[in-house]
Amino acid sequence: MTLEGQRLVCSYGPTRALGGVDIAAGGGEIVAVVGPNGAGKTTLLRALSGERRPDQGEVLLDGSPVSGADPGWRGRVGLVSHRAGLYRKLTVAENLNFFAALHGVPKARDAVGPALETIGAATLANTRVEALSRGQSQRVALARSLLHDPDILFLDEPFTGLDPAAAAALESTLRARRAAGSVIVLVTHDLRRGLGLADRVVVLRRGHKVHDGETGGASAADLLRYFTVGDPS
Amino acid sequence: MNELRRAWLITLKDLRLEFRTGGRLVAMIAFVVLAGFLFAFALDRTAVAGRDVAAALLWLVMLFASTAGAGRIFDAEEEEGAFRHLLLTPVSRPAVFLGKTAANLVVIWLVTALAFISLTAFLDVRDQGSLAAHAAVLLPGTIGLAATGTFFGRMSRHSSLGDTLLPVLTFPLLVPVIYFGATSTARVFLERPWTEISGSVRLLWAFAVGSVFIGAALFRHLTDE
Repeated sequence: MTLEGQRLVCSYGPTRALGGVDIAAGGGEIVAVVGPNGAGKTTLLRALSGERRPDQGEVLLDGSPVSGADPGWRGRVGLVSHRAGLYRKLTVAENLNFFAALHGVPKARDAVGPALETIGAATLANTRVEALSRGQSQRVALARSLLHDPDILFLDEPFTGLDPAAAAALESTLRARRAAGSVIVLVTHDLRRGLGLADRVVVLRRGHKVHDGETGGASAADLLRYFTVGDPS
Repeated sequence: MNELRRAWLITLKDLRLEFRTGGRLVAMIAFVVLAGFLFAFALDRTAVAGRDVAAALLWLVMLFASTAGAGRIFDAEEEEGAFRHLLLTPVSRPAVFLGKTAANLVVIWLVTALAFISLTAFLDVRDQGSLAAHAAVLLPGTIGLAATGTFFGRMSRHSSLGDTLLPVLTFPLLVPVIYFGATSTARVFLERPWTEISGSVRLLWAFAVGSVFIGAALFRHLTDE
């Protein structure tokens, strides 16, 4: 399985967020997308996930175009964003049950418990989201993204607000998904963690790709160089 | 999974949030009770009988309350960014629209029932006509209000004018609902035969069905980027 974004262009009014970015991620691979603020990382993730239709270019899965308008595609995608995206007045279990049912997970209620156990949050099931800490919310958001067993995962700053134990649990979950053959695209500001976890790293700057290579041997300092040097256009 | 089942899940979720949060419902209920209370003082009932104006006031109160509530239909969705995750599930956009419209309709029914009780009490309307006939008129009218409110409630989210835009967009569209609804309700209050009312009710149903279908068909333009 290969996910590709080809010549992706996205603009917000007169501001061009992505200026023709090519990116590819294979099954069983974690690709980290890094870059300074305003580089277009989140926009790239939104275009790849189908949440935003690119102005130009296309997203392909195994060579076939995919679109966020296709429910079949949306059913294969899991997303963790920097905002948890949960209903604050519902409990954790009610949130997860709702999303699992919308995804058509058989026996949605039965899927909630194991999903919470996976991320070490089983005790939070009956807690309202408004009472959770940022880190706890983020863990629940991760559980929600995995409920329907997606084979393509997009994560936007998933480590933000996580304590070391939760961050380690997230890393462990992502490694397990990689071993299971999932495509994982991870946007992060945490260069060290990104390098430690990813197989490949893509650096964006001002909407352009300025580096795309395997992580082996690269250091955070090497990557930082791409944040500032050269004209990406 | 059946899209109607998904719509139903969204309705249940919205109602659960509505009753737990309470803000929108409480504001709408407070509005209709206070409106009935104030109308009782504003009307010179030695010149105008309460029964003669109750229908018009009822529909205006329903219109203002539903429009005020429509601006907050998507508050819980946007609060933590949950709506983008809902849209990333395989649920169709028409199902999202139907689910949210149905939840809005239940809230409008509650508000309408309370408006009816408070207006007839404050205006001292003793002969109310057939309650079944009132329900037959109010049902299609409230469906039209709910569908229009849900659609334009979403649209106002895209505008920098926000809730200010809602009455500007919805009031002109809802003129037929108010006209046929208020005249039909007035005739029910006056206990006129159903044959004098049924034509207007058919037009209310046409508006209700049309607004639900058009809203469902166009909703994706308000959700997908």
